[in-house]
Amino acid sequence: MKVLYLYCKDRPLIGFGYFFVFFLIFLAVFADLIAPWPPQTANPDDYLQAPSWRHLFGTDETGMDIFSRCIYSIRLDLSIAFLGTAVSAIVGTAIGAFVGYYEARGRLKTVFSSFTMRALDVIQSFPVFVFAIALVAIFGQGLYSIIAAIAFVNMPIYVRLMRTQALSIRQMRYVEAAYLSGLSDVSLIIKHIVPNSMGPILSHLSVNVGWSVLLAAALSFAGAGVEAPTPEWGSMIAVGFKNIVTGQWWPSTFPGIVLGLTVFSFALIGASVEVLADPVRRRAAIAKY
Amino acid sequence: MALIRYIGRRLLFVLPQLFGIVAVSFFLLKMIPGDPALLMLGPLASQEAINEIRSVMGLDKSLIEQFVIYLERVLSGDLGTSWQTTKPVMEDLLKRFPATMELVTLSLLFALILGIPVGILASLLKKSIINKFSTYYGLLAGSLPDFWLGLIFIFVFYTILGWAAAPMGRLDLGILPPAVVSGSYFIDSLIAGDWETFNNVVAHLTLPVLTLGLINAGPIIKMTQSTMDRLLESDHIRYARSCGLGEFQIVRRAFRNSLPSVLTIVSVLYSFLIGGAVLVEIVFSWGGAGQYALSGVLNADINPVMGFVVWSAVLCLILYLIVDLLYFAIDPRLRD
Repeated sequence: MKVLYLYCKDRPLIGFGYFFVFFLIFLAVFADLIAPWPPQTANPDDYLQAPSWRHLFGTDETGMDIFSRCIYSIRLDLSIAFLGTAVSAIVGTAIGAFVGYYEARGRLKTVFSSFTMRALDVIQSFPVFVFAIALVAIFGQGLYSIIAAIAFVNMPIYVRLMRTQALSIRQMRYVEAAYLSGLSDVSLIIKHIVPNSMGPILSHLSVNVGWSVLLAAALSFAGAGVEAPTPEWGSMIAVGFKNIVTGQWWPSTFPGIVLGLTVFSFALIGASVEVLADPVRRRAAIAKY
Repeated sequence: MALIRYIGRRLLFVLPQLFGIVAVSFFLLKMIPGDPALLMLGPLASQEAINEIRSVMGLDKSLIEQFVIYLERVLSGDLGTSWQTTKPVMEDLLKRFPATMELVTLSLLFALILGIPVGILASLLKKSIINKFSTYYGLLAGSLPDFWLGLIFIFVFYTILGWAAAPMGRLDLGILPPAVVSGSYFIDSLIAGDWETFNNVVAHLTLPVLTLGLINAGPIIKMTQSTMDRLLESDHIRYARSCGLGEFQIVRRAFRNSLPSVLTIVSVLYSFLIGGAVLVEIVFSWGGAGQYALSGVLNADINPVMGFVVWSAVLCLILYLIVDLLYFAIDPRLRD
């Protein structure tokens, strides 16, 4: 905590990243108290109002309050991103640990490892966004499809990160010792390999959450994600799309700003975690205190 | 000789990858819930009609046999028919992919023209504003949704200022597309020497290229900067410096050595954009391949989607092949 404070002291923008994410979570939790208007109730008298004190961010073509909808969107977008990232990190780390551990240990296991890696190559040769859309098309539209698609396209990175780690940790003396003292493969992986290789995975997590928010919003914007009256940044931008040309900029602009700031904040946090997770760079970064 | 061996080794990998791509797309198709015969005929169809369709479509055969049939079809260029356009998917995609490739290629060229000088300057002038700017530009550009940025540009440059062409496709309504040579209006109108058309094409390209270029310049700046940082500290540059070479010569040499990593990031961006440009295509009604696939997704028209997935994966493979050849051209170490 103290390290984090010292680190952010010189880097206000990074500090802003942490602040903004906590602020978002606060808004999401207390959305019912903070949002001045109900997020899904159309108010035909107030359609396409420009931003004012009555409607801070204005209203969209059906008269829904954009400010309130932006706040409620946090719940959905962050949940999708957190869940999608969590699933891909857990599954990807597990697969990566086994693949890395078993590589070059007995013929069958080697075949299993190299087969998994080649399969990843093929999955990664598909364009990410198209693949996600195709997955949503196949599973049918809906929240779980989006989460599954996000988890699936993110997974290869975790498998690769974890495999590299497992390969090097496996060679360590203490792992050899544990192996010789009769620990089974599975408990060796769970007790020693996974805990000792969390560094790079943690620093990727934050960036990945931000990126997943972007992907979820992009899917919704394309019409293959969350659908219209549900408050979600991407679909709000899509709703305001046709108003842009006629000069009503607010229905698309504000959700986009909030979305961009959110992803930016997670990227900033990710950049700081990368430094802070590495003891040498951490010491260098706060050396003057 | 080394080149031939290099290409040969590289091509060995392409076949299994192609096979993998077709296999994955086949299993994606099989994962679609519901019986395709039933979907085609509707719920009121008789059992005989369903059986007949099933045997015509080969659905009564084993999964392996079905896969072999699918493989033969795809390899012979038959990707099925789209019920939306009632045309073969192959034909539709051949018309639409040039639009996407044109947009993506020009955007990346713009991103390179912007990104490389900024990256080099940021690496040279450590204490300057440009260094701070480039550090955060990478993070910021990666965070902004490109489809949103496109909308903002439309609002500013079309709605308010009226400088840009209407965001409605690749040409004004009254202008005929140039004779098809490559399918890219940009190239074709140049070949035809038709300046009026060319100017119109450029006017329509400006905003989408600006959008995608600004977003994708981020990673290019970051990569150029970090590679240059590393190279300017390296032994051979220190040696060059101690020999008294001028700063320009030194930068030129360091940049020459940073080309492989810039090439890597460009290839990654390129393969992402082939599918990822779809949202910007929608915003500017570009009529590219991504937009075609997306309308397939939204209208339960699965053949265009699978066709697009296979096509873009194959294009990525070709792209990586070209990139590997370029590595060979710029990295002398690969030649022995």
